[in-house]
Amino acid sequence: MDRAGRRVVTIEVVERGILTTIQDAFGRRSWRHAGVPVGGAADAWSARLANRLVGNNDNAALLELTLAGPTLRFTEPAVVALVGEMTASIDGLPFPPGAARAVRAGGLLRIGEGRDARAYLAIGGGLHVEPLLGSVATDLRSGFGGLDGRALRAGDRLAARASAGAPARWIGVRDDGPIRIVDGPHPSSAVPLTERPWRVGEEADRAGVRLDGPRIRGTDSEVPSMGLPLGAIQVPPDGRPIIMLADRPVTGGYPVPAVVIGADIGRVARLRPGDELRFASVSTETARSALRRAEDELAALEMLDAPVDDELGWAGSHR
Amino acid sequence: MSRVRPFGEGAFLVGVDGPEAAQGLRRALVAEPIDGVIGLVPGRYSLLVEFDALIADATALEAELASRSPMPDAASRLRRIPVVYDGPDLADVAALVGLSEAELIEAHATGEHRVLFVGFAPGFAYIGGLPEGWRIPRLATPRTRTAAGSVAVADGMTGIYPADLPGGWRVIGRTPVTLFDPRRTPPVHLEAGDQVRFRPISPEDWERWTGPGAEW
Repeated sequence: MDRAGRRVVTIEVVERGILTTIQDAFGRRSWRHAGVPVGGAADAWSARLANRLVGNNDNAALLELTLAGPTLRFTEPAVVALVGEMTASIDGLPFPPGAARAVRAGGLLRIGEGRDARAYLAIGGGLHVEPLLGSVATDLRSGFGGLDGRALRAGDRLAARASAGAPARWIGVRDDGPIRIVDGPHPSSAVPLTERPWRVGEEADRAGVRLDGPRIRGTDSEVPSMGLPLGAIQVPPDGRPIIMLADRPVTGGYPVPAVVIGADIGRVARLRPGDELRFASVSTETARSALRRAEDELAALEMLDAPVDDELGWAGSHR
Repeated sequence: MSRVRPFGEGAFLVGVDGPEAAQGLRRALVAEPIDGVIGLVPGRYSLLVEFDALIADATALEAELASRSPMPDAASRLRRIPVVYDGPDLADVAALVGLSEAELIEAHATGEHRVLFVGFAPGFAYIGGLPEGWRIPRLATPRTRTAAGSVAVADGMTGIYPADLPGGWRVIGRTPVTLFDPRRTPPVHLEAGDQVRFRPISPEDWERWTGPGAEW
């Protein structure tokens, strides 16, 4: 029990996965003038959805899984939800993404690989993590936030506050098609971005995704340092564009011909090295209506009386 | 008047005259916030203004931003940074600017410096004030690791590495001062607008600074 009398769930990390970190959806927005990156979930939309499926608030602390997820043992009954295509099981039975699920005391949750580079695991009540500078997000580069500023390791123990939030199932649809972009401050070098397909390079992390493909010749090799919004596509002198994600540095000094729209940046974060992508130019008006549609899709939930229980079907075995 | 350009569907880049105007415009927008604005990032000749594209009226916001003026800094602090001038690039930098090592240290430590902006990493201050005419390019091949506390120069500025980080600046010394601590408010030792004086100390002084009771 915690001080408020709520049951505390302890989660033991049995296997760590490739890179599993504690994040929230929104990160730290208010300290960039001090050089602190926003951070938080690379695919904030999926993180918010995962939290909603277990009845958490959008910004509750959860796990971001990279390429292959962890194996976790729960000491107490809990409600969990996975968003993102990674193969998962609870006590050996399939655990598909997109719906809240019950885990029994002693239950083993295993997450493997899948089509998505990133997925999110939310636990009912949210992980119990001390916020720093207004967020629980793990900043791996500077080594703070989350669990001691690092990725999870086997043997770590996490705590969640069991909640009575309403479990749900997602019934919306995900966009596919080209990644939509709008003009950036240096559009003169943008011409070739939409003409050919690109491939996600090996250098893809939470700061940015580097693309392989035709080299872009820019008009300038460097520009005065400026603040970088999420999705800015920077083109350094080597001509290989980098799409900036959550852990991007606060400022950058390379030309930015275009910006990935807010509704599509989560899709970029889900791409695996080697995946192909295409860009399509849209207006800022189209970008804003796409954002509204993404918000509507996030709300496309079917409430469940109880999380699906592996043995008992829909039985309400958890409060 | 500021020049306002869209930067994606949820941000404007406001062009200004220089780093001080960028910081001043940020101060103005913190003192008198505009509804829907969710992020402010000063750059060298710009301020990035992020807004919630679901609720903000972009056209009205653009006009409002164009009408705002930078707010002057009320009081500029003086920060003294102790430095052991024994960096691996000290000799190279002295040669680049045509001075002896002792003359370089003297020039750096007597100069008046000022924090232009903070970026690159939490607490990494870009400090202006190197003598005119010092041409110090970055290293052709950046180091994969520059140690926390390294005092380095490049492009007319001094920078101090707040953590072990990759970096292309030329390291002339080291300071025991903690530049970034996420448990402090504010979390950074140096902020834009601060005046900075570098004070030469001995390696023994450095050891004493990091002795029992020190932060790291």
